[in-house]
Amino acid sequence: MLVKLKDVYKIYSEGLESEVRALDGVSLEIERGEFVAVVGQSGSGKSTMMNVLGCLDIPTHGEYYLDGTDVRELSDKELSHIRNKQIGFIFQQYNLIQNLNVLENVELPLIYQGINADDRREMALEALERVGLSSRIKHRPSEMSGGQQQRVAIARAISTHPPIIMADEPTGALDSHTGKEVLGFLQQLNKEGSTVILITHDNGIAATARRCVRLADGKIVEDRLQEVDWL
Amino acid sequence: MNIRQAMKMAFKSILGNKGRSFLTMLGIIIGIASVMTIVSTINGMNKRSLEQMEAMGTNRITVSVYLYNGQNAFEEMYDYCNSLGSKLVQGVTPTGNCSATVVYGSKSSAAMEKNQQNMFNGDGTQNSNVALPPSLYYGSDQYGVCNNFQIASGRELSNIDIKNYNQVCVLGARAARNFFDYADPIGKELQVNGLPFTVVGVYAEKDPDSQWSMDNIIVFPYSVSRLLSPGTQMNDFVVKAANAQASVEVSSRLSGFLTGLTNNGKSGSGYVDNSNQWQQNINEQATMMSLVLGGIAAISLLVGGIGIMNIMLVTVTERTREIGIRRAIGAERASIVTQFLIEAAMLCGIGGLVGMVLGTIGTRVAGSLLVHMDIWPSLSITVGAFLLSVTLGIAFGIYPAAKASKLQPVEALRAE
Ligand SMILES: Nc1ncnc2c1ncn2[C@@H]1O[C@H](COP(=O)(O)OP(=O)(O)OP(=O)(O)O)[C@@H](O)[C@H]1O
Ligand SMILES: [Mg+2]
Repeated sequence: MLVKLKDVYKIYSEGLESEVRALDGVSLEIERGEFVAVVGQSGSGKSTMMNVLGCLDIPTHGEYYLDGTDVRELSDKELSHIRNKQIGFIFQQYNLIQNLNVLENVELPLIYQGINADDRREMALEALERVGLSSRIKHRPSEMSGGQQQRVAIARAISTHPPIIMADEPTGALDSHTGKEVLGFLQQLNKEGSTVILITHDNGIAATARRCVRLADGKIVEDRLQEVDWL
Repeated sequence: MNIRQAMKMAFKSILGNKGRSFLTMLGIIIGIASVMTIVSTINGMNKRSLEQMEAMGTNRITVSVYLYNGQNAFEEMYDYCNSLGSKLVQGVTPTGNCSATVVYGSKSSAAMEKNQQNMFNGDGTQNSNVALPPSLYYGSDQYGVCNNFQIASGRELSNIDIKNYNQVCVLGARAARNFFDYADPIGKELQVNGLPFTVVGVYAEKDPDSQWSMDNIIVFPYSVSRLLSPGTQMNDFVVKAANAQASVEVSSRLSGFLTGLTNNGKSGSGYVDNSNQWQQNINEQATMMSLVLGGIAAISLLVGGIGIMNIMLVTVTERTREIGIRRAIGAERASIVTQFLIEAAMLCGIGGLVGMVLGTIGTRVAGSLLVHMDIWPSLSITVGAFLLSVTLGIAFGIYPAAKASKLQPVEALRAE
């Protein structure tokens, strides 16, 4: 089992009147190589769940095993290494660093891995080629369209060849055509063996996933497998 | 991530936001420049006043003795001082003035007296060619030692000159020039109050620029006062101590000696004046001044440092999202801290370099305008100022860097 959440809670202002249960007793298992769509209304806890799964946030209660390791016992440094090597993040707002150019942005996770400059450049260029951006590597993010920026973000996420890809509304800020393109990349990565966790509130996009998990008020209310045509 | 990477990253970030970087550096630049200017200028001034005191002869103790029976106290003084040994006392001499007319060929001190009226040209400038009358002193064989004169040619007065009432004298460099122009005065005879005195030595010049200088002197063996000014009593003496520390001890020993000599004040009076005292006062004043001005400069440096801290904090808030992104893709806390520390140190280092250049210019300008001196900042001040600025950068960089690294990635990412 790659990912295993067991009775996980994320509670803000616990015990106060303003208490919010963003995750309210979630248990979930995901196997290696799955393509999982997480859907639900705004405020249902999708991002919160992804942050916990991606080791960006710590659950208030409950257990989380990643590849068999109890995440609660890891130090901040070890969590950093997991984010660096095991997970590739794609965010709705792209989250590129504005004063670095495209190539430098894609190289960044490789820098934190301590890979030498030549290998780093080669790996970054390879990732940029996969998303079709090898010609614009010296541009700043602000000089590119939203679709192009999201492709840079995807290149950054896959430059380290992580086993897990987590995408939080990656198509949310894009038109339907570029959105389909991005979705195509994720499907391609999944075919090559990556585990993909895709958060969306678009039922059309959710319908293209092999497995669909629905959240409501911090609880999993539906978890089903569906037929897809792209596999 | 290694240090070189972190430095590259910091450099990029400094260049990426030139306006903010410049404002940050401004405080350090002004701080360093003012510290350097103030400290260097004070140092230069101190050095000059020290040099002036040195030329006059440091560690001089003035002793006045007056015996009611009219006797001369110098021989006892001389024996006592020389019995103290060269570790304490280097020499002792009377400093009595002698008034007499000195004549050599067509030149006479009486004529030189008149020159004093012609000192100034019609336009008020000084006429530096005019010869002024020499000051005449009675001295011992240690007159030169006591007053910081070196023999340039010939010899110093000797003990035998004093014992035998030899009619000899030693000239200061300017007196020699006034009477003999550039001819060698050694062996020539001066007429002093009509009596022949042979020049046996000339002192090296100490103060070439001034006409009323200490070089315009003639020194006679004190014993010949019997011939030149009969009935004068030698009351004032100068004792040259080996060093500042010795001068304190010698002063107190001399006081004791004088108490005995004057029979505890019953047969005369004695007085010891350690001129080191006012040297110390001058030094203390200078120290006070450097403390006050240095303090002002240090405060401006501190304000600069706080400015840096402020900007670094703003930077962190501004860049919280960037920190979140970096953490999300795998930066450890240590990497974030290193990046921000290096950025701060680099900013301050660059600011320090610019401040050093401005401080050097400031020192030169202040030196020439305020104190009319050619001052360069010393290497230690320059290096010290630079190290100080980098240290400040690191010190003030730690807090914001630590703050930035403590953020949970998800909190940092949520920032706008
Ligand atoms: N830092 C926080 N402090 C308090 N409450 C929070 C915080 N973060 C999230 N929440 C709350 O937790 C709940 C779940 O938030 P979450 O961001 O996971 O929703 P979401 O499903 O991703 O919604 P969306 O589709 O709008 O992105 C919401 O009610 C939100 O208000
Ligand atoms: Mg969300």
